[in-house]
Amino acid sequence: MTHFISRCCCYAILLLCSATIISQPDTIVIGFGGYDGVFITASGDSEESNPEKSINQDGYLPNLNAAARFLSQASLGYSYTDTETVTLMGIEDWITDQMENKPMPFTLKDKVIEYRQFVRDSINDQEAGSSSRMWDYAWWQYHMTSTDALRQKTAHALSEIIVVSEKSPFGNNGLALSDYYDILLNNAFGNFRDIMQDVTYHASMGVYLTYLNNPKADTTINQYPDENYARECMQLFTIGLYELNNDGTRILDNEGDPIATYDNEDILEFSKIFTGLTWADRDQFGRGAYKDTSYLAEMVMWNDYHEPGVKNLLNGFQVPDRDPIDGDADISDALDNLFNHPNVGPFISTLLIQRMVTSNPSADYIGRVATSFNDNGQGIRGDMKAVLRAILLDPVAKACDSGDDPQFGKLREPFLRYIQINKAFNASTTSGDFRNDMDYIYQFIEQKPLASPSVFNFYQMDYQPLGPVNDADLFAPEFQITNSQTISGWIDGLYRFVVGENLADEYDLYSGEPNENYDDEVTTIDLTTEMTMTNDDELHILVDRLNLLLAQGRLTQPTIEKIITAITNFDNEDEDDMELRVKLAIYLVMSSPEYLINR
Amino acid sequence: MSKRKISRRSFLGEASCAAIGSTAFLSSFLNLGMINTLSARPHIISNTNDYKAMVCILLAGGADTYNVIVPTESTEYADYQATRGDLALDKDATDPTQLLDLDYDDNGRTFAVHAGMDKVRDMFDGGHLSFLANIGTLVEPIANKTEFDAGIKKLPLGLYSHSDQIMHWQTSVPQSRSAVGVGGRMADILHDMNTISNVSMNISLAGKNRFQTGNQYQEYSISNSTTAANIGFDGFPSYWGDSGILNDAKNNAISNIVEQEYGNIFEQTMGSLTKQTGESIEIFEAAFANIVPLNTTFSDNNLSNDLKKIAETISVKSHLGTNRQIFFVTIGGWDHHDNVLGNQNVMLPIVSNALSEFNDALTEIGMHNDVVTFTISDFARTLTSNGNGSDHAWGGNQMIMGGPVNGGQIFGDFPSLALDGNDLNLSSRGRILPTTSVDEFYAEIALWFGVSPNDLDYILPNLCNFYSSSNCTQPPSMDYSPLGMFA
Repeated sequence: MTHFISRCCCYAILLLCSATIISQPDTIVIGFGGYDGVFITASGDSEESNPEKSINQDGYLPNLNAAARFLSQASLGYSYTDTETVTLMGIEDWITDQMENKPMPFTLKDKVIEYRQFVRDSINDQEAGSSSRMWDYAWWQYHMTSTDALRQKTAHALSEIIVVSEKSPFGNNGLALSDYYDILLNNAFGNFRDIMQDVTYHASMGVYLTYLNNPKADTTINQYPDENYARECMQLFTIGLYELNNDGTRILDNEGDPIATYDNEDILEFSKIFTGLTWADRDQFGRGAYKDTSYLAEMVMWNDYHEPGVKNLLNGFQVPDRDPIDGDADISDALDNLFNHPNVGPFISTLLIQRMVTSNPSADYIGRVATSFNDNGQGIRGDMKAVLRAILLDPVAKACDSGDDPQFGKLREPFLRYIQINKAFNASTTSGDFRNDMDYIYQFIEQKPLASPSVFNFYQMDYQPLGPVNDADLFAPEFQITNSQTISGWIDGLYRFVVGENLADEYDLYSGEPNENYDDEVTTIDLTTEMTMTNDDELHILVDRLNLLLAQGRLTQPTIEKIITAITNFDNEDEDDMELRVKLAIYLVMSSPEYLINR
Repeated sequence: MSKRKISRRSFLGEASCAAIGSTAFLSSFLNLGMINTLSARPHIISNTNDYKAMVCILLAGGADTYNVIVPTESTEYADYQATRGDLALDKDATDPTQLLDLDYDDNGRTFAVHAGMDKVRDMFDGGHLSFLANIGTLVEPIANKTEFDAGIKKLPLGLYSHSDQIMHWQTSVPQSRSAVGVGGRMADILHDMNTISNVSMNISLAGKNRFQTGNQYQEYSISNSTTAANIGFDGFPSYWGDSGILNDAKNNAISNIVEQEYGNIFEQTMGSLTKQTGESIEIFEAAFANIVPLNTTFSDNNLSNDLKKIAETISVKSHLGTNRQIFFVTIGGWDHHDNVLGNQNVMLPIVSNALSEFNDALTEIGMHNDVVTFTISDFARTLTSNGNGSDHAWGGNQMIMGGPVNGGQIFGDFPSLALDGNDLNLSSRGRILPTTSVDEFYAEIALWFGVSPNDLDYILPNLCNFYSSSNCTQPPSMDYSPLGMFA
């Protein structure tokens, strides 16, 4: 049995085999960093190689498999070319390049406004509002055309932590959804405190967690401030339920029990903080949304409706009895109180690691990331760049052999699998503009951005599926949406997306829009490279390429052989046959547990 | 809206994606549901010829159930009105009517239901449905606010938190966070009563859930649109040459791949879930082909459609080889921090009508006396208002319906709704300490379902706290019936 270079994941001093996957260089383990599986090659066949440069970097250059594995952690999806880029740049430089050189090319909000204007002009109605379909198209257009892969990944992870959802009163307001998501894109490399600030004042969150138009108490009629945001902001967005050590383990009391971070009295105090906010474009407190753009301006404080007096917050912190009342100052104090709580580092770090690398990070790993959250090395707390570097450059994330730990890894999120099809095979349209009504995807996999059923996301961080994960008292969040319906939904969806040539659904933006308007916006994938590998004696090359590109080399030999055997049943006589062979190979790879688990 | 038509090669047309089963899944059957082994214990299983099903309806988000059933005796109503403020329903309003009186009088205590629940009122008055009053998650009994404040009683983890309380209602072990629920543990005990071992006793219309997850068995998920024609994996179109062989090749490949032994625990989990899905699909496909359309008319909403699918599934129970079934349904959207009155006006009729339709359908298929349906919810909400909504609280009211149930009753103790001088009120916001535990409720259902009193401690580990203050070594008596829900 021939061994292919793509199947081993390693970092090397010399760049090797950037293009061909069938060469087989001799490798010598030099034990870089004590990790198994780090190789130095005796024969580099690339003129691009630059040993000094790679040695002078923090680490070594990844081979294709290590690069693919890294990109599966750091992006929502990637192509073969992206993988090659990482082998040339190295992981550290790629991250730096992403953080420094990849600004947002446009905002989702502006894209929605563009669509809305197009509709307004088309139907001669300058009052026409935005729609959820515009949000879908804007999100997809951004993610198919912009190169800020790490920003995209980070924003998506944040959208599953600090949740708002289209299953809400603003579900058909494309501006409310896109402008909220822009916060997450815009602050992906910013500071967590700014995210807290922007989110708290965003009308989408104000409506979603019902503190927009939340007045101060009127005890004469037994009316008190709404507790919703006070509770979920603490439980889900910042500190969680229990006092944590920096490494994410729970602090225990003398009886060995965990210690609650807050009690209901604290909720009552925080509920007073989030009073007095309303729409910026209304001249009275307590009014409804004016139009779809009402969501674009930060909510404004009406101090007359803000709860006056002292508020006793966490860890002995007290918001003073301000005279005159200053609700914005109260909110600022309260957000500082939460932001500076020692839980935020380990709590948010754990959630981000779960989204990017593994469902059950070790205490040491969490501790290292949380330490970066606490101080980026320059005395700044909450620096997302430091947190992301700590997550992605951690030995646990990088070391290929960490994936050999039977408890390492995570179930790939269904929606990310779908993106991966598009990215891996360079999905494109004739015009360069995309239309993707993501509800089509949702009906198969029950996931799409900003569509979770509640503020608790599609899945919770401590979900335990029956079987070995639960037996080991470990977590596997993504399994919470994995059941007989969604398993067959994924396999059926995969069939439609890849084999059935219905990768995306393109619809009109307004009723009656002629199909010709978007004839050039039908999404197709490009399988020309793979179609050169469909002869019976080349199928191992085809599957090996897909193994690298999709599964980071994790397919077992029996699985590879079963896929090849299955494909061999199909003819290979003309282009249609070749294409079908490739598509079946993709379908089978992406149905396999080795692919579905990212490790 | 018009869908963009995409040109495709003719042989890959969308319409051609007929669903097929896969013999490979069945032939390679190995019951991977048996992941754990239940500790050896003598099970006493009642006669296995009868059929019983329970249907658990989760009102996700914490329904404000102190506006579902309202006390109407003058003093009690005055407390209700004063405490609830702008959230109070007006018992004297007639245009429109806000409350419907129940045919019930317990020494002068009278009650009414929300005006959107006329069907529930009818079923209550007709003896098909009863209420449970002030029920909630408890580890052990707590008598009053004084005991609560003293901190000497064990409390549920994460009181007033959605994620915790919705979990505890499903697990009934509220001192811990557990993946395993009440219905799952019942299945662990009773699964052998069913004759086809790879059809789960527990069928979910709501995907993965804790209630139906046991130590050995877990749910099988269907949707309300699942039919014999669309269940399963898409296959190749039949007008392809050799499509059968090609389908077998494809499905064999999936089946062979997932049945590998995996070292990684997530791959193991994924492989066994995929395998179980494939195995069950074939049996459901064959069984669902026998469904005869119901005469009962159901409304067109998710809850009604879910309950209709359950009635249809029960109607083909013999094809699924089952004598015991537990169904799980969710209707979300009850977290009414805002506009509780307006939202309930829309949502409570949906529940009420769906329950009534389901009751009718069960009668139609002759199963009315074999099925018990009940609601659960995270918690009830604060009695006081936050403007026009209510916040998270604890004890609340639920419904139980079915032929075996003593109808027209209010089980448990309906609490005073006064804010002051009420030793069950824990907060100025009006949070009521539950006086009936979820354990007591489930215990009666379990005994009806055929669980032996000896096995109740497996299903409800805390139950003994509620029937014995000192001696947890003895099971409850055969006629244990703290609430008297069953005849």
